[in-house]
Amino acid sequence: MSEELVAFRDVWKVYSVGPEGVPALRGVNLTIRRGEYVAIMGRSGSGKSTLLNLLGCLDRPTKGQYHLGGEDVSGMNDNQLSDVRGTHIGFVFQSFNLIPALTVVENIEIPLFYQGVPRHDRHPRSRELARLVGLGDRMEHRPAELSGGQRQRVAIARALANDPLVLLADEPTGNLDSHTTEDILDLFDELHARGRTLIMVTHEDSVAGRAQRIVMLRDGQVESENHLLAKGPAE
Amino acid sequence: MKASHKVMDLVRLGLHSILVHKGRSVLTSLGIIFGVFSVIAMLSINEGAALESERALRELGSDNILIRSVEPPNQESKATAEGRGASVYGVTLRDVARLRDNIPGVMRCVSVHKTQKYAHYLGRNLSVTVLGTEPTYAQAARTDVVAGRFLTASDVLLSKPYCVITRSLARRLFGYLDPLGDTFRLAGEPFVVVGVLSQLPSSLSGQDIDVDNCVIIPISTDRTRFGEYEVMWGQGGSRMEKVDVHQVILQMEGEKQVLDGAAIARSLLGRYHDQPDFEVTVPLELLEQRQKQRRLWNIMFLAIASVSLLVGGIGIMNIMLASVTERTREIGIRRALGAKRRDIIAQFLVEAVSLTTAGGLIGIATGMLIPMGIERALSVPAVISIQTLFWPFLMAVSVGLASGVYPAFRAARLDPIEALRHE
Repeated sequence: MSEELVAFRDVWKVYSVGPEGVPALRGVNLTIRRGEYVAIMGRSGSGKSTLLNLLGCLDRPTKGQYHLGGEDVSGMNDNQLSDVRGTHIGFVFQSFNLIPALTVVENIEIPLFYQGVPRHDRHPRSRELARLVGLGDRMEHRPAELSGGQRQRVAIARALANDPLVLLADEPTGNLDSHTTEDILDLFDELHARGRTLIMVTHEDSVAGRAQRIVMLRDGQVESENHLLAKGPAE
Repeated sequence: MKASHKVMDLVRLGLHSILVHKGRSVLTSLGIIFGVFSVIAMLSINEGAALESERALRELGSDNILIRSVEPPNQESKATAEGRGASVYGVTLRDVARLRDNIPGVMRCVSVHKTQKYAHYLGRNLSVTVLGTEPTYAQAARTDVVAGRFLTASDVLLSKPYCVITRSLARRLFGYLDPLGDTFRLAGEPFVVVGVLSQLPSSLSGQDIDVDNCVIIPISTDRTRFGEYEVMWGQGGSRMEKVDVHQVILQMEGEKQVLDGAAIARSLLGRYHDQPDFEVTVPLELLEQRQKQRRLWNIMFLAIASVSLLVGGIGIMNIMLASVTERTREIGIRRALGAKRRDIIAQFLVEAVSLTTAGGLIGIATGMLIPMGIERALSVPAVISIQTLFWPFLMAVSVGLASGVYPAFRAARLDPIEALRHE
């Protein structure tokens, strides 16, 4: 067995709305190992987004522990969490979230920028990543000049820039047509094959079907975990 | 951590977003540009004007104490035996001796007796001011002999009929003839011209002297040839006046002795004069007053300008707040990708400061043109010094810092999750 990369121990998240507060997660236990490809599914309101925010260290659990790469991140302050996001997490969003004023290469190097990687080291790395996702000829373009699929490729390249422990994808194909969706999912498969750990939130069965394991959430709890036997761990 | 190039990167990032919105940036910093512009223009004109008046005061000699005889306001002719129906007032020869002997640190003590007379030469007849004085007048008044020589001690000792005249008088009296060695008549008495002066310092002589029209003769000659009474012709008759000394110039050894010396002179003269018929002027005092005044004006101008800079700063804060709202999503993205709060603060602060710094530089550039133009057009001296440029610039930069702080912290306080969801 490979090491535990993500470990949730009885994680609660309660939003302070009203006198009682609204619990979004109610004691989630979840373990994800290095190299796994996991899809998280559930209806809206099931706690998917909350779980993803916690996974991505954008938020802190109200109760319980979250170990990422063997490190307890549940008690970290804002600064430390920023560093964890910058080094260990790669985000891929549904709406791409590229910065419109920046070129492809400049967008890709944002995580490197905040980790203090010097300019002359950032450029080669981000160009290499642009080539990796198949955008070698679009490096100086701005997001507005790219198609949806290309934009998502830029976002994936950006997510890979700091060589993160986990790639977190939030409905990565939600804004794409079926053909482009296939392309992006193929790219995910390829990354998975290279040993990346991927966690993807989706509500589409066909998309979730590309993962090794599907975690179903319901009312802030893990309802079921189904291993898709068709695919083995990429080891 | 490699902090230095990260700082550079953040600066670059801030500049980048300014360049992306060029038009908006220029409009935003317009307030700052005008603020800096107006401060520099005002400061340099004020400095110029002040320097001009200080130069005039310095001409008086900052190591001088000037004592002047003043006709008291309710002067009645003293029909005493001594007065002989003449009005007697002012500093006496005894006073001069007392001043010279009792004030420590006096280097030169020069008495000046001043009268108005007619000069005749080859049918020309001019009204001139005659100053009867001593050779040391040249040093105390810092006169400039352009031809010949000044009066000497032996001229005074022997009551020589020698005189030194100003250049413009020489020109008017002698035309194109060389005045040196030539003789003309002063109220009927012959005088030989031994020297020509460029001009007397106007401020030293007082406003009642035509500085271009002066004849300087030994004080002893003045006394022996013309006596100690002067007949003044005015409306409806004449009156007589007896003033021993019109002006005493006490040149001190250094500026340090000036203020104490002036205090002593005032109390000393006050003891022997029961009416206010003298006036003690200290150029150094005036100079310091003038400098204080200049500083006060400078502070006032800076205060006025800081109002306009404040308005400019509010404009910048407004735009920065709008920019933060507009770029909420970007802030969320950056936070998700590892930007710390302080990175976000730095980005927006750099942006605000760069806006005002650029505005300040433009303001300096344009602000320097105005004083130069005024100088050329109105021949009013304008002084552009490091200080007049530095303070407005510093103010502009600090306005940027001040107006950037609130938007920057607001940007940094945004919750990354909320920011990412922002449309």
